[in-house]
Amino acid sequence: MRAYELIKETFCRKLYILIVHLSWLTLYGGFYWLTLPGASEFSGYGRFIFIWGGFFLALALSAGIFGDDISSGRICVLVTKPFWPGELYIYRLLGLSLQAAVHFILAWCVIFILHALMRKGSMNGLGLWLFASWLLFNTCAALSTSLSVVVGRTYNALLLLVVIVTGYFVVSWLMVSSKQQAETGVLFSFINFACPPFKLLYKFACGEYGKYSLTVGRFSLAKSVACVVHSLILTVVYSIVGIVLLSRRQFSSERD
Amino acid sequence: MNSNDNKKTAVVECKQLTKVYKGLLAGSSRAVCALKNISLSVNKGQIVGLIGPNGAGKSTLLNLIAGLIFPTDGCLAVCGSPARTVEARRSLGYMPEHPSFLGRYSARAVLRYHGALLGLSHKTISLQADKSIEQLHMHEFIDRRCSEFSQGMKQRLALAVALMNDPQVLLLDEPSNGLDPVGIIQLRDVLKKLRDSGTAIVISSHRLGELEKLTSDYIFLYRGEVVSFGDKIIAGQAGRLRVELVSNGSYIAEKLLSPSQTIAVSDKEMEIAVDNADDVPDIISDLVKGGARLRSVNLQTEDIEDIFLRLYNERN
Repeated sequence: MRAYELIKETFCRKLYILIVHLSWLTLYGGFYWLTLPGASEFSGYGRFIFIWGGFFLALALSAGIFGDDISSGRICVLVTKPFWPGELYIYRLLGLSLQAAVHFILAWCVIFILHALMRKGSMNGLGLWLFASWLLFNTCAALSTSLSVVVGRTYNALLLLVVIVTGYFVVSWLMVSSKQQAETGVLFSFINFACPPFKLLYKFACGEYGKYSLTVGRFSLAKSVACVVHSLILTVVYSIVGIVLLSRRQFSSERD
Repeated sequence: MNSNDNKKTAVVECKQLTKVYKGLLAGSSRAVCALKNISLSVNKGQIVGLIGPNGAGKSTLLNLIAGLIFPTDGCLAVCGSPARTVEARRSLGYMPEHPSFLGRYSARAVLRYHGALLGLSHKTISLQADKSIEQLHMHEFIDRRCSEFSQGMKQRLALAVALMNDPQVLLLDEPSNGLDPVGIIQLRDVLKKLRDSGTAIVISSHRLGELEKLTSDYIFLYRGEVVSFGDKIIAGQAGRLRVELVSNGSYIAEKLLSPSQTIAVSDKEMEIAVDNADDVPDIISDLVKGGARLRSVNLQTEDIEDIFLRLYNERN
Protein backbone atom coordinates (compact mmCIF):
# COMPACT_ATOMS: atom_id res chain seq x y z
CA MET A 1 0.00 0.00 0.00
CA ARG A 2 2.71 2.48 1.07
CA ALA A 3 5.03 1.24 -1.64
CA TYR A 4 2.29 1.49 -4.24
CA GLU A 5 1.38 5.08 -3.28
CA LEU A 6 4.99 6.29 -3.24
CA ILE A 7 5.89 4.59 -6.52
CA LYS A 8 2.70 5.89 -8.14
CA GLU A 9 3.36 9.40 -6.87
CA THR A 10 6.87 9.37 -8.33
CA PHE A 11 5.77 7.73 -11.56
CA CYS A 12 3.09 10.35 -12.22
CA ARG A 13 4.99 13.23 -10.66
CA LYS A 14 5.27 15.82 -13.39
CA LEU A 15 3.95 16.41 -16.86
CA TYR A 16 7.33 17.43 -18.22
CA ILE A 17 8.61 13.91 -17.62
CA LEU A 18 6.02 12.59 -20.06
CA ILE A 19 7.03 15.25 -22.56
CA VAL A 20 10.69 14.28 -22.22
CA HIS A 21 9.77 10.64 -22.73
CA LEU A 22 7.81 11.38 -25.88
CA SER A 23 10.55 13.65 -27.20
CA TRP A 24 13.17 11.01 -26.82
CA LEU A 25 10.97 8.42 -28.46
CA THR A 26 10.56 10.79 -31.39
CA LEU A 27 14.33 11.06 -31.51
CA TYR A 28 14.59 7.30 -31.63
CA GLY A 29 12.18 7.16 -34.50
CA GLY A 30 13.73 10.07 -36.37
CA PHE A 31 17.23 8.81 -35.95
CA TYR A 32 16.30 5.33 -37.06
CA TRP A 33 14.47 6.71 -40.09
CA LEU A 34 17.28 9.02 -41.15
CA THR A 35 20.31 6.86 -40.63
CA LEU A 36 19.27 3.44 -41.75
CA PRO A 37 18.40 3.33 -45.41
CA GLY A 38 21.57 3.43 -47.44
CA ALA A 39 23.62 5.13 -44.78
CA SER A 40 27.22 4.08 -44.97
CA GLU A 41 27.65 4.56 -41.24
CA PHE A 42 26.06 6.39 -38.37
CA SER A 43 26.46 10.09 -38.28
CA GLY A 44 28.46 11.23 -35.28
CA TYR A 45 25.66 13.55 -34.27
CA GLY A 46 22.96 10.94 -34.42
CA ARG A 47 24.93 8.44 -32.44
CA PHE A 48 25.71 11.05 -29.84
CA ILE A 49 22.05 11.90 -29.37
CA PHE A 50 21.04 8.28 -29.33
CA ILE A 51 23.59 7.25 -26.77
CA TRP A 52 23.56 10.29 -24.54
CA GLY A 53 19.89 11.13 -24.79
CA GLY A 54 19.16 8.49 -22.20
CA PHE A 55 21.47 10.04 -19.65
CA PHE A 56 20.17 13.53 -20.14
CA LEU A 57 16.74 12.07 -19.71
CA ALA A 58 17.76 10.19 -16.59
CA LEU A 59 19.18 13.27 -14.97
CA ALA A 60 16.30 15.49 -15.98
CA LEU A 61 13.85 12.98 -14.57
CA SER A 62 15.43 12.14 -11.30
CA ALA A 63 17.33 15.22 -10.25
CA GLY A 64 15.40 17.36 -7.88
CA ILE A 65 12.90 14.77 -6.81
CA PHE A 66 13.81 15.23 -3.14
CA GLY A 67 14.89 18.82 -3.66
CA ASP A 68 11.36 19.59 -4.76
CA ASP A 69 9.94 17.94 -1.63
CA ILE A 70 12.41 19.71 0.61
CA SER A 71 11.91 23.20 -0.80
CA SER A 72 8.11 22.87 -0.79
CA GLY A 73 8.12 21.58 2.80
CA ARG A 74 6.26 18.37 1.88
CA ILE A 75 9.20 16.35 3.17
CA CYS A 76 8.49 17.61 6.71
CA VAL A 77 5.20 15.74 6.74
CA LEU A 78 6.58 12.68 4.94
CA VAL A 79 9.41 12.10 7.40
CA THR A 80 7.11 12.35 10.42
CA LYS A 81 5.28 9.26 9.17
CA PRO A 82 6.14 6.01 10.96
CA PHE A 83 8.42 4.32 8.47
CA TRP A 84 12.12 4.08 7.75
CA PRO A 85 13.26 7.04 5.56
CA GLY A 86 15.10 4.57 3.35
CA GLU A 87 11.71 3.33 2.13
CA LEU A 88 10.98 6.80 0.84
CA TYR A 89 14.22 6.78 -1.12
CA ILE A 90 13.82 3.25 -2.46
CA TYR A 91 10.23 3.73 -3.62
CA ARG A 92 11.08 7.04 -5.27
CA LEU A 93 13.92 5.34 -7.13
CA LEU A 94 11.65 2.47 -8.11
CA GLY A 95 9.09 4.95 -9.42
CA LEU A 96 11.75 6.57 -11.61
CA SER A 97 13.06 3.19 -12.69
CA LEU A 98 9.57 2.10 -13.67
CA GLN A 99 9.14 5.25 -15.73
CA ALA A 100 12.36 4.45 -17.56
CA ALA A 101 11.33 0.82 -18.05
CA VAL A 102 8.07 1.92 -19.66
CA HIS A 103 10.01 4.38 -21.77
CA PHE A 104 12.47 1.76 -23.00
CA ILE A 105 9.68 -0.71 -23.78
CA LEU A 106 7.93 1.99 -25.80
CA ALA A 107 11.23 2.77 -27.54
CA TRP A 108 11.59 -0.89 -28.48
CA CYS A 109 8.04 -0.84 -29.87
CA VAL A 110 8.68 2.32 -31.91
CA ILE A 111 11.85 0.88 -33.43
CA PHE A 112 10.20 -2.48 -34.03
CA ILE A 113 7.32 -0.84 -35.93
CA LEU A 114 9.71 1.26 -38.02
CA HIS A 115 11.82 -1.79 -38.72
CA ALA A 116 8.79 -3.82 -39.73
CA LEU A 117 7.55 -1.06 -42.03
CA MET A 118 10.88 -0.31 -43.68
CA ARG A 119 12.24 -3.82 -43.76
CA LYS A 120 15.76 -2.53 -43.32
CA GLY A 121 18.38 -2.59 -40.62
CA SER A 122 18.59 -5.10 -37.81
CA MET A 123 16.80 -5.60 -34.54
CA ASN A 124 19.66 -7.69 -33.27
CA GLY A 125 20.70 -6.84 -29.78
CA LEU A 126 18.18 -4.02 -29.39
CA GLY A 127 16.62 -5.56 -26.30
CA LEU A 128 20.01 -6.02 -24.73
CA TRP A 129 21.04 -2.47 -25.57
CA LEU A 130 17.88 -1.06 -24.06
CA PHE A 131 18.35 -3.24 -20.98
CA ALA A 132 21.84 -1.85 -20.54
CA SER A 133 20.48 1.66 -21.03
CA TRP A 134 17.86 1.01 -18.36
CA LEU A 135 20.54 -0.23 -15.94
CA LEU A 136 22.49 2.92 -16.57
CA PHE A 137 19.40 4.98 -16.12
CA ASN A 138 18.96 3.44 -12.68
CA THR A 139 22.57 4.26 -11.81
CA CYS A 140 22.19 7.88 -12.94
CA ALA A 141 18.84 8.16 -11.17
CA ALA A 142 20.34 6.85 -7.92
CA LEU A 143 23.23 9.32 -8.20
CA SER A 144 21.09 12.36 -8.91
CA THR A 145 18.42 11.37 -6.37
CA SER A 146 21.13 11.14 -3.72
CA LEU A 147 22.47 14.53 -4.77
CA SER A 148 18.99 16.05 -4.56
CA VAL A 149 18.79 15.06 -0.88
CA VAL A 150 21.71 17.38 -0.25
CA VAL A 151 21.11 20.17 -2.74
CA GLY A 152 17.47 20.64 -1.74
CA ARG A 153 16.37 23.24 -4.27
CA THR A 154 13.38 23.12 -6.56
CA TYR A 155 15.29 23.93 -9.72
CA ASN A 156 18.37 21.89 -9.04
CA ALA A 157 17.67 19.51 -11.93
CA LEU A 158 19.25 21.75 -14.52
CA LEU A 159 22.16 22.56 -12.24
CA LEU A 160 22.87 18.89 -11.62
CA LEU A 161 22.49 18.10 -15.26
CA VAL A 162 25.00 20.74 -16.29
CA VAL A 163 27.46 20.04 -13.49
CA ILE A 164 27.52 16.27 -13.87
CA VAL A 165 27.62 16.14 -17.65
CA THR A 166 30.16 18.95 -17.89
CA GLY A 167 32.24 17.34 -15.15
CA TYR A 168 32.19 14.01 -16.90
CA PHE A 169 33.22 15.53 -20.22
CA VAL A 170 35.99 17.62 -18.69
CA VAL A 171 37.43 14.68 -16.79
CA SER A 172 37.16 12.45 -19.88
CA TRP A 173 38.94 15.08 -21.97
CA LEU A 174 41.67 15.45 -19.36
CA MET A 175 42.08 11.71 -19.31
CA VAL A 176 42.40 11.45 -23.05
CA SER A 177 44.84 14.34 -23.27
CA SER A 178 47.07 12.92 -20.54
CA LYS A 179 46.73 9.28 -21.40
CA GLN A 180 50.41 8.55 -21.39
CA GLN A 181 51.10 9.80 -17.89
CA ALA A 182 51.32 7.19 -15.15
CA GLU A 183 49.60 9.31 -12.48
CA THR A 184 46.36 9.35 -14.46
CA GLY A 185 45.94 5.64 -13.75
CA VAL A 186 44.09 6.31 -10.50
CA LEU A 187 41.85 8.82 -12.22
CA PHE A 188 41.15 6.32 -14.98
CA SER A 189 40.19 3.71 -12.43
CA PHE A 190 37.96 6.16 -10.64
CA ILE A 191 36.19 7.17 -13.84
CA ASN A 192 35.79 3.60 -14.96
CA PHE A 193 34.60 2.13 -11.70
CA ALA A 194 33.13 4.87 -9.50
CA CYS A 195 31.25 6.90 -12.12
CA PRO A 196 28.26 5.54 -13.99
CA PRO A 197 29.61 3.21 -16.69
CA PHE A 198 29.01 5.54 -19.62
CA LYS A 199 32.03 4.19 -21.45
CA LEU A 200 30.87 0.62 -21.19
CA LEU A 201 27.51 1.53 -22.61
CA TYR A 202 29.16 3.48 -25.38
CA LYS A 203 31.15 0.42 -26.33
CA PHE A 204 28.08 -1.66 -25.90
CA ALA A 205 26.17 0.58 -28.28
CA CYS A 206 28.90 0.65 -30.87
CA GLY A 207 29.31 -3.09 -30.70
CA GLU A 208 31.99 -5.24 -32.19
CA TYR A 209 30.11 -6.21 -35.32
CA GLY A 210 27.66 -4.83 -37.83
CA LYS A 211 28.41 -1.13 -38.04
CA TYR A 212 25.32 -0.64 -40.24
CA SER A 213 23.06 -1.99 -37.57
CA LEU A 214 21.60 0.54 -35.22
CA THR A 215 21.57 -1.60 -32.16
CA VAL A 216 24.41 -4.07 -32.34
CA GLY A 217 24.96 -4.94 -28.68
CA ARG A 218 27.37 -7.76 -29.35
CA PHE A 219 29.64 -7.91 -26.36
CA SER A 220 30.87 -11.20 -25.16
CA LEU A 221 28.87 -12.72 -22.34
CA ALA A 222 31.58 -11.88 -19.84
CA LYS A 223 31.57 -8.20 -20.87
CA SER A 224 27.80 -8.04 -20.76
CA VAL A 225 27.70 -9.53 -17.29
CA ALA A 226 30.44 -7.14 -16.19
CA CYS A 227 28.41 -4.19 -17.46
CA VAL A 228 25.30 -5.36 -15.65
CA VAL A 229 27.10 -6.09 -12.40
CA HIS A 230 28.98 -2.80 -12.50
CA SER A 231 25.75 -0.85 -13.00
CA LEU A 232 23.98 -2.74 -10.24
CA ILE A 233 26.84 -2.28 -7.78
CA LEU A 234 27.00 1.44 -8.49
CA THR A 235 23.22 1.79 -8.17
CA VAL A 236 23.34 0.09 -4.79
CA VAL A 237 26.31 2.17 -3.61
CA TYR A 238 24.75 5.48 -4.72
CA SER A 239 21.45 4.43 -3.11
CA ILE A 240 23.08 3.58 0.20
CA VAL A 241 24.76 6.99 0.21
CA GLY A 242 21.40 8.64 -0.57
CA ILE A 243 19.58 6.71 2.16
CA VAL A 244 22.23 7.57 4.75
CA LEU A 245 22.05 11.24 3.73
CA LEU A 246 18.26 11.22 3.91
CA SER A 247 18.27 9.58 7.35
CA ARG A 248 20.75 12.09 8.70
CA ARG A 249 19.29 15.15 7.01
CA GLN A 250 17.57 17.79 9.13
CA PHE A 251 14.58 19.26 7.42
CA SER A 252 14.11 22.63 8.92
CA SER A 253 16.46 25.32 10.03
CA GLU A 254 13.74 27.84 10.80
CA ARG A 255 14.30 29.48 14.10
CA ASP A 256 11.09 31.06 15.27
CA MET B 1 -5.23 4.09 36.39
CA ASN B 2 -8.27 6.38 36.54
CA SER B 3 -9.04 9.07 34.00
CA ASN B 4 -7.33 11.78 36.06
CA ASP B 5 -4.12 9.76 36.26
CA ASN B 6 -4.47 9.12 32.59
CA LYS B 7 -4.53 12.81 31.88
CA LYS B 8 -1.37 13.33 33.92
CA THR B 9 0.62 10.86 31.87
CA ALA B 10 3.41 12.77 30.17
CA VAL B 11 3.44 12.10 26.44
CA VAL B 12 6.16 14.60 25.56
CA GLU B 13 9.17 14.88 27.85
CA CYS B 14 12.19 17.08 27.26
CA LYS B 15 15.20 17.02 29.54
CA GLN B 16 18.00 19.55 29.24
CA LEU B 17 17.22 19.91 25.56
CA THR B 18 19.66 22.08 23.64
CA LYS B 19 19.77 22.86 19.97
CA VAL B 20 22.63 24.68 18.32
CA TYR B 21 22.50 25.50 14.62
CA LYS B 22 25.98 25.39 13.24
CA GLY B 23 27.38 27.40 10.37
CA LEU B 24 25.54 26.99 7.08
CA LEU B 25 22.48 25.40 8.65
CA ALA B 26 21.92 28.53 10.68
CA GLY B 27 22.26 30.65 7.57
CA SER B 28 25.28 32.40 9.02
CA SER B 29 28.93 31.67 9.60
CA ARG B 30 28.59 31.43 13.39
CA ALA B 31 26.76 28.90 15.54
CA VAL B 32 23.41 29.96 16.94
CA CYS B 33 21.98 28.44 20.09
CA ALA B 34 18.26 28.16 19.34
CA LEU B 35 17.30 26.30 22.54
CA LYS B 36 19.14 26.18 25.85
CA ASN B 37 18.60 23.42 28.41
CA ILE B 38 14.87 23.14 28.00
CA SER B 39 13.12 20.76 30.38
CA LEU B 40 9.37 20.35 30.22
CA SER B 41 6.63 17.82 29.78
CA VAL B 42 3.24 17.80 28.10
CA ASN B 43 0.54 15.53 29.47
CA LYS B 44 -2.25 13.59 27.86
CA GLY B 45 -5.31 15.73 27.23
CA GLN B 46 -3.39 18.97 27.61
CA ILE B 47 -3.30 21.83 25.14
CA VAL B 48 -0.10 23.82 25.39
CA GLY B 49 0.43 27.12 23.64
CA LEU B 50 3.98 27.74 22.49
CA ILE B 51 4.49 31.49 22.53
CA GLY B 52 7.35 33.90 22.23
CA PRO B 53 8.73 36.59 19.96
CA ASN B 54 10.24 35.82 16.57
CA GLY B 55 13.44 33.82 16.89
CA ALA B 56 12.59 32.58 20.37
CA GLY B 57 12.90 28.91 19.39
CA LYS B 58 9.22 27.91 19.00
CA SER B 59 9.55 26.26 15.61
CA THR B 60 12.82 24.67 16.67
CA LEU B 61 11.12 23.05 19.67
CA LEU B 62 8.22 21.88 17.50
CA ASN B 63 10.61 20.52 14.87
CA LEU B 64 12.57 18.67 17.56
CA ILE B 65 9.44 17.03 18.91
CA ALA B 66 8.38 16.15 15.35
CA GLY B 67 11.80 14.59 14.78
CA LEU B 68 12.64 16.86 11.87
CA ILE B 69 15.87 18.01 13.47
CA PHE B 70 18.29 16.46 15.97
CA PRO B 71 18.94 17.89 19.42
CA THR B 72 22.51 18.95 20.08
CA ASP B 73 22.19 17.82 23.67
CA GLY B 74 19.58 16.46 26.06
CA CYS B 75 16.77 13.92 25.81
CA LEU B 76 13.41 14.10 24.12
CA ALA B 77 10.80 11.37 24.32
CA VAL B 78 7.40 11.12 22.65
CA CYS B 79 5.09 8.58 24.29
CA GLY B 80 8.10 6.99 25.97
CA SER B 81 10.13 6.54 22.77
CA PRO B 82 13.02 8.74 21.68
CA ALA B 83 11.93 11.36 19.15
CA ARG B 84 12.54 10.52 15.48
CA THR B 85 12.12 6.77 16.05
CA VAL B 86 9.35 4.94 14.20
CA GLU B 87 7.58 4.25 17.54
CA ALA B 88 7.55 7.97 18.40
CA ARG B 89 6.29 8.92 14.95
CA ARG B 90 3.46 6.41 15.25
CA SER B 91 1.96 8.59 18.02
CA LEU B 92 2.53 11.88 16.23
CA GLY B 93 0.43 14.11 14.04
CA TYR B 94 2.22 17.12 12.59
CA MET B 95 0.82 20.11 10.78
CA PRO B 96 3.44 22.47 9.32
CA GLU B 97 3.07 26.22 9.14
CA HIS B 98 2.94 26.27 5.33
CA PRO B 99 1.32 23.04 4.19
CA SER B 100 2.07 22.00 0.63
CA PHE B 101 0.45 19.29 -1.48
CA LEU B 102 1.00 17.98 -4.97
CA GLY B 103 -1.22 20.17 -7.13
CA ARG B 104 -2.72 17.40 -9.21
CA TYR B 105 -3.96 15.43 -6.17
CA SER B 106 -7.46 16.02 -4.87
CA ALA B 107 -7.98 16.45 -1.12
CA ARG B 108 -9.40 12.92 -1.00
CA ALA B 109 -6.35 11.54 -2.84
CA VAL B 110 -4.07 13.35 -0.38
CA LEU B 111 -5.86 11.74 2.56
CA ARG B 112 -5.65 8.32 0.88
CA TYR B 113 -1.95 8.87 0.16
CA HIS B 114 -1.08 9.83 3.72
CA GLY B 115 -3.27 7.06 5.12
CA ALA B 116 -1.29 4.60 3.02
CA LEU B 117 2.01 6.05 4.26
CA LEU B 118 0.76 5.48 7.79
CA GLY B 119 0.12 1.85 6.93
CA LEU B 120 -3.66 2.07 7.42
CA SER B 121 -6.02 -0.31 5.66
CA HIS B 122 -8.36 0.86 2.87
CA LYS B 123 -11.32 0.64 5.23
CA THR B 124 -9.65 2.66 7.99
CA ILE B 125 -8.51 5.28 5.50
CA SER B 126 -12.07 5.69 4.21
CA LEU B 127 -13.45 5.93 7.74
CA GLN B 128 -10.84 8.44 8.84
CA ALA B 129 -11.28 10.50 5.68
CA ASP B 130 -15.07 10.63 6.16
CA LYS B 131 -14.57 11.64 9.79
CA SER B 132 -12.20 14.45 8.82
CA ILE B 133 -14.46 15.67 6.04
CA GLU B 134 -17.31 15.88 8.53
CA GLN B 135 -15.30 17.44 11.38
CA LEU B 136 -13.45 19.99 9.29
CA HIS B 137 -16.28 20.78 6.88
CA MET B 138 -14.33 19.78 3.79
CA HIS B 139 -17.31 18.63 1.70
CA GLU B 140 -17.07 21.48 -0.73
CA PHE B 141 -13.52 20.89 -1.85
CA ILE B 142 -12.81 17.26 -1.07
CA ASP B 143 -12.74 16.26 -4.75
CA ARG B 144 -11.07 19.40 -6.04
CA ARG B 145 -7.41 19.58 -7.03
CA CYS B 146 -5.05 20.98 -4.41
CA SER B 147 -3.67 23.45 -6.97
CA GLU B 148 -7.00 25.29 -6.72
CA PHE B 149 -6.99 25.51 -2.92
CA SER B 150 -7.00 28.67 -0.85
CA GLN B 151 -4.73 28.91 2.20
CA GLY B 152 -7.66 28.08 4.48
CA MET B 153 -8.49 24.93 2.52
CA LYS B 154 -4.85 23.85 2.70
CA GLN B 155 -4.87 24.39 6.46
CA ARG B 156 -7.97 22.22 6.89
CA LEU B 157 -6.51 19.50 4.71
CA ALA B 158 -3.20 19.64 6.57
CA LEU B 159 -5.03 19.21 9.86
CA ALA B 160 -7.01 16.31 8.41
CA VAL B 161 -3.72 14.70 7.33
CA ALA B 162 -2.28 15.19 10.82
CA LEU B 163 -5.33 13.52 12.35
CA MET B 164 -5.37 10.48 10.05
CA ASN B 165 -3.73 8.17 12.62
CA ASP B 166 -5.64 9.47 15.69
CA PRO B 167 -2.37 10.77 17.15
CA GLN B 168 -1.66 10.92 20.86
CA VAL B 169 0.43 14.02 20.29
CA LEU B 170 -0.63 16.66 17.82
CA LEU B 171 1.84 19.36 16.80
CA LEU B 172 0.38 22.42 15.12
CA ASP B 173 2.39 25.29 13.69
CA GLU B 174 0.20 28.38 13.22
CA PRO B 175 -2.92 26.29 12.57
CA SER B 176 -5.32 29.20 12.10
CA ASN B 177 -3.26 30.83 9.31
CA GLY B 178 -5.59 31.79 6.48
CA LEU B 179 -8.73 30.43 8.15
CA ASP B 180 -11.88 32.54 8.08
CA PRO B 181 -13.68 33.25 11.38
CA VAL B 182 -16.00 30.27 10.91
CA GLY B 183 -13.01 28.07 10.15
CA ILE B 184 -11.27 29.29 13.30
CA ILE B 185 -14.31 28.45 15.43
CA GLN B 186 -14.56 25.01 13.82
CA LEU B 187 -10.86 24.43 14.40
CA ARG B 188 -11.27 25.39 18.05
CA ASP B 189 -14.15 22.92 18.46
CA VAL B 190 -12.15 20.12 16.86
CA LEU B 191 -9.15 20.78 19.10
CA LYS B 192 -11.30 20.89 22.23
CA LYS B 193 -12.86 17.54 21.31
CA LEU B 194 -9.42 16.06 20.73
CA ARG B 195 -8.22 17.37 24.07
CA ASP B 196 -11.24 15.82 25.78
CA SER B 197 -10.46 12.51 24.13
CA GLY B 198 -6.95 12.60 25.62
CA THR B 199 -4.85 13.97 22.78
CA ALA B 200 -2.00 16.22 23.83
CA ILE B 201 -1.79 19.26 21.57
CA VAL B 202 1.15 21.62 21.20
CA ILE B 203 0.32 24.78 19.26
CA SER B 204 2.87 27.31 18.15
CA SER B 205 1.08 30.53 17.34
CA HIS B 206 1.34 34.28 17.35
CA ARG B 207 -2.46 34.58 17.59
CA LEU B 208 -2.60 34.89 21.32
CA GLY B 209 -6.31 35.68 21.48
CA GLU B 210 -7.05 32.39 19.76
CA LEU B 211 -4.76 30.44 22.07
CA GLU B 212 -6.41 31.99 25.09
CA LYS B 213 -9.73 30.49 24.05
CA LEU B 214 -8.18 27.03 23.97
CA THR B 215 -5.86 26.85 26.93
CA SER B 216 -4.34 28.48 29.96
CA ASP B 217 -1.16 26.45 29.65
CA TYR B 218 1.65 28.22 27.86
CA ILE B 219 5.32 27.78 27.24
CA PHE B 220 6.80 31.25 26.88
CA LEU B 221 10.10 31.04 25.07
CA TYR B 222 12.56 33.86 24.87
CA ARG B 223 15.91 33.58 23.12
CA GLY B 224 15.87 29.82 23.42
CA GLU B 225 14.96 29.66 27.08
CA VAL B 226 11.72 28.82 28.82
CA VAL B 227 10.70 31.96 30.66
CA SER B 228 7.48 30.57 31.97
CA PHE B 229 5.74 27.23 31.68
CA GLY B 230 2.30 25.95 32.60
CA ASP B 231 -0.67 27.87 33.93
CA LYS B 232 1.53 29.79 36.40
CA ILE B 233 2.08 32.21 33.56
CA ILE B 234 -1.53 33.28 34.17
CA ALA B 235 -1.40 32.94 37.97
CA GLY B 236 1.90 34.83 38.08
CA GLN B 237 0.21 38.19 37.95
CA ALA B 238 -3.49 38.62 38.29
CA GLY B 239 -3.42 42.12 36.91
CA ARG B 240 -4.23 45.56 38.25
CA LEU B 241 -6.63 46.66 40.95
CA ARG B 242 -8.37 49.90 40.12
CA VAL B 243 -9.70 51.66 43.25
CA GLU B 244 -11.88 54.78 43.32
CA LEU B 245 -11.74 56.73 46.59
CA VAL B 246 -13.60 59.62 48.12
CA SER B 247 -10.34 61.47 48.83
CA ASN B 248 -6.72 61.28 50.12
CA GLY B 249 -5.61 58.69 47.60
CA SER B 250 -2.03 59.97 47.33
CA TYR B 251 -1.55 60.08 51.09
CA ILE B 252 -2.90 56.58 51.65
CA ALA B 253 -0.85 55.11 48.80
CA GLU B 254 2.32 56.62 50.22
CA LYS B 255 1.52 55.26 53.68
CA LEU B 256 0.38 51.73 52.73
CA LEU B 257 1.77 50.72 49.34
CA SER B 258 5.27 50.02 48.16
CA PRO B 259 6.48 51.85 45.00
CA SER B 260 6.51 48.56 43.05
CA GLN B 261 2.83 48.03 43.83
CA THR B 262 1.76 51.49 42.77
CA ILE B 263 0.98 51.92 39.10
CA ALA B 264 -0.88 55.25 39.17
CA VAL B 265 -2.14 57.39 42.02
CA SER B 266 -4.27 60.50 42.37
CA ASP B 267 -6.42 61.78 45.24
CA LYS B 268 -9.51 60.00 43.93
CA GLU B 269 -8.07 57.01 42.15
CA MET B 270 -5.30 54.53 42.40
CA GLU B 271 -4.08 51.55 40.36
CA ILE B 272 -2.31 48.78 42.22
CA ALA B 273 -0.33 45.92 40.69
CA VAL B 274 -1.60 42.62 42.05
CA ASP B 275 0.61 39.54 42.02
CA ASN B 276 -2.16 37.12 42.76
CA ALA B 277 -5.94 37.46 42.67
CA ASP B 278 -6.08 35.84 46.12
CA ASP B 279 -4.30 38.89 47.59
CA VAL B 280 -7.10 41.30 46.65
CA PRO B 281 -9.23 40.93 49.87
CA ASP B 282 -6.13 41.59 52.01
CA ILE B 283 -5.23 44.70 50.01
CA ILE B 284 -8.73 46.11 50.33
CA SER B 285 -8.79 45.30 54.03
CA ASP B 286 -5.46 47.11 54.54
CA LEU B 287 -6.73 50.14 52.62
CA VAL B 288 -9.89 50.35 54.71
CA LYS B 289 -7.92 49.90 57.94
CA GLY B 290 -5.57 52.65 56.77
CA GLY B 291 -8.50 55.07 56.53
CA ALA B 292 -9.39 54.88 52.87
CA ARG B 293 -13.04 55.44 51.99
CA LEU B 294 -13.65 53.34 48.91
CA ARG B 295 -16.14 54.22 46.25
CA SER B 296 -15.53 51.27 43.89
CA VAL B 297 -13.03 48.46 43.34
CA ASN B 298 -12.36 46.81 40.02
CA LEU B 299 -9.84 44.01 39.36
CA GLN B 300 -8.57 44.04 35.79
CA THR B 301 -6.95 40.72 35.01
CA GLU B 302 -4.26 40.41 32.38
CA ASP B 303 -5.08 38.63 29.20
CA ILE B 304 -2.43 36.60 27.43
CA GLU B 305 -1.44 39.55 25.27
CA ASP B 306 -0.74 41.64 28.38
CA ILE B 307 1.24 38.78 29.88
CA PHE B 308 3.18 38.33 26.68
CA LEU B 309 4.04 42.00 26.56
CA ARG B 310 4.93 42.08 30.24
CA LEU B 311 7.24 39.08 29.96
CA TYR B 312 8.73 40.47 26.79
CA ASN B 313 9.26 43.95 28.21
CA GLU B 314 10.81 42.54 31.38
CA ARG B 315 13.54 41.08 29.18
CA ASN B 316 14.15 44.07 26.98
